[in-house]
Amino acid sequence: MFWGRSSILPPSSFILRCSWRPVLGNERDKSVNDQLIAPSSAALGKEHVARIRAAHNAILSEVRKVIIGQSQVVEEVLTTFFSGGHCLITGVPGLAKTLLISTLGRALALTFRRIQFTPDLMPSDIVGHELLRETDGQRSLEFVPGAIFSNIVLADEINRTPPKTQAALLEAMQEHQVTSGGTSRKLEEPFFVLATQNPIEQEGTYPLPLAQQDRFMFSLIIGYPTKEEELQILDATTSNLAADIQVALTGAELLKAQQIVRLLPAAAPIVKYAVRLAGASRPASRHAPDFVKQYVSIGASLRGSQYLLLGARARAAMEGRLAVSVDDIKAVALPVLRHRIVVNFKADAAKVDSNEIVRRLLEAVPGPKAEL
Amino acid sequence: MPQDKEVQAVVEFHSKLSTALHSVVVGQRAAIDHVMVALVVGGHVLLTGGAATAKGLLVQCLAKAAKLSFKRIQFTPDLMPSDITGAEILEEDSRTGKRVAQFVSGPIFTNLLMADEINRTPPKTQAALLEAMQEKQVSTSGVTRPLPKPFYVMATKTSLETDGTYPLPEAQQDRFMLNIEMDTLSEEEELQVVTGDAMAQLAELPQVIEAEGLLAFQQTVRNIPIPKTVQHYIVNLTAASRPGTPDAIEAVKKYVAWGAGVRATQYLALGAKARAALQGRAVAAQDDVKAVALPVMRHRIGVNFRAENDNVKPAQIVGQLLEAVKN
Repeated sequence: MFWGRSSILPPSSFILRCSWRPVLGNERDKSVNDQLIAPSSAALGKEHVARIRAAHNAILSEVRKVIIGQSQVVEEVLTTFFSGGHCLITGVPGLAKTLLISTLGRALALTFRRIQFTPDLMPSDIVGHELLRETDGQRSLEFVPGAIFSNIVLADEINRTPPKTQAALLEAMQEHQVTSGGTSRKLEEPFFVLATQNPIEQEGTYPLPLAQQDRFMFSLIIGYPTKEEELQILDATTSNLAADIQVALTGAELLKAQQIVRLLPAAAPIVKYAVRLAGASRPASRHAPDFVKQYVSIGASLRGSQYLLLGARARAAMEGRLAVSVDDIKAVALPVLRHRIVVNFKADAAKVDSNEIVRRLLEAVPGPKAEL
Repeated sequence: MPQDKEVQAVVEFHSKLSTALHSVVVGQRAAIDHVMVALVVGGHVLLTGGAATAKGLLVQCLAKAAKLSFKRIQFTPDLMPSDITGAEILEEDSRTGKRVAQFVSGPIFTNLLMADEINRTPPKTQAALLEAMQEKQVSTSGVTRPLPKPFYVMATKTSLETDGTYPLPEAQQDRFMLNIEMDTLSEEEELQVVTGDAMAQLAELPQVIEAEGLLAFQQTVRNIPIPKTVQHYIVNLTAASRPGTPDAIEAVKKYVAWGAGVRATQYLALGAKARAALQGRAVAAQDDVKAVALPVMRHRIGVNFRAENDNVKPAQIVGQLLEAVKN
């Protein structure tokens, strides 16, 4: 696994080595203002990505205090954090999804809320509603913000709620604002949604429409831990070890890191490869390989190629590299494309799923070198 | 490793409480043992079984004997989340005439909550309870309020009628540490119930422990060591219940739609530690795991259509797991 390379620094050494350390109290305001001035693409230096790498390692070492195993999912969630994208996770209950995301909230000193999606949840439960208040004989409408007014929102079992309520969340994800009673209100930045879907019990669920799934940058699959990991979980969680999570990065610093990620240069052939990869998944495209024409009914949208590039940039920055490589694109291809490709009934009969299509695409689409 | 006197305190509590409970509740030996496991772990319990199997009586006895604040909520189709968690109401200050919003806490702010017929209420209300169970806190209008410690939910689920009920999603059932199935009484026991006066006995029930004592026991239980071999046994047991994994046993491959998750692993370990402590042993053993396997795993295993057709219940699957997995 490529993620294994990142060395894990204890938080103290992070603070010593990195000038971009967590700031406290009144010191914070000044330094945040300094840091929010993003460098231009040309001024981007090795030190900027080195900071992101250090921040990534610091967050990772905090998460490792409480989360055992699931290293790929943790890395992929962090990639969406540094990209400013949202994340959809499919997996059975009891795999520490809530713990992972609340720990990230603590490591970044961000507000965190969990919403359990149910068939009778209404949009106003998420967005908020207006309440009539009386003060000194005057009645006025007061807006009571819903659970979405939070930096990190865990939308648990999103496919249990009817489409109107799903749409309320997904609109907020896209616009980073909500509208209620004719007034639009901005959500706090950074804003990050991690939604979970339950693979078991398909009855009584409302599958997310493709256009709404498309708003998630990554779709992740979380499986059971290995036996060794499960033994570690057993050992660590049934005795008295309460982990102390330190703040590794502030929200303002994360926003700046996201700006740097977006500025990271990507060479033209790399960009072309991302576009080709997404394009080859569309059955109507002239670049589509035969297996796509045979098995795919809907290919990846434009967001597919955008997120391939963004995810690759984040991955390069997290590893402290200034240049995006083909391997970065390949590494994020599965989480970016798997929920954007819909296979047809022929594929179902042949037991080919969208994961398999992405794997075959990675083999079939020539990389930039092969083309030169 | 807990100190001897700490374990001794748990044993003393066990014998006093079990005597007290048995003085009121007829039969139900296994259920009483398992409820005590949940008490010293700090886990929530889902009580199932036919009507009039002393589910309510057992919980009332616990509240009285353990000196815990006790509330009961009857779940109905029209119950709202705020009926459980509490709500803000406008109150008029008699001196100034000003109206101010004041939080009136719901019945969930208690040590022991009996949630009667939890599957009669719509999902959003169920979710409000289940979130409070997990987080041990309640958020209303942007303010988060912690629940009292200890906090136990003993929920009952009716199995008699399925009309007009909202089944608990398995992800939410997973939050209950144990699913205790009450026994149907024998004729002899029924005779004893009919001739006895449970309510009068309940009124005379002695108080054997206070809330702080239970918190200390939860600490003691977590300090009980669990040997590596027993840990392996637990992990093998849960792995064998998961279809689609190489460890799955034949019955699981045939009948199980989904198996026990990681919470089962954690609660098997905690349950085994609790049983060891209750019996005065300072180390958990494999037999302790076996003894709690049924209530820990029963509600975490979902069976498929074929099982329903062949009338195979999750409890039988757990039985086969215990036979098949040796170490």
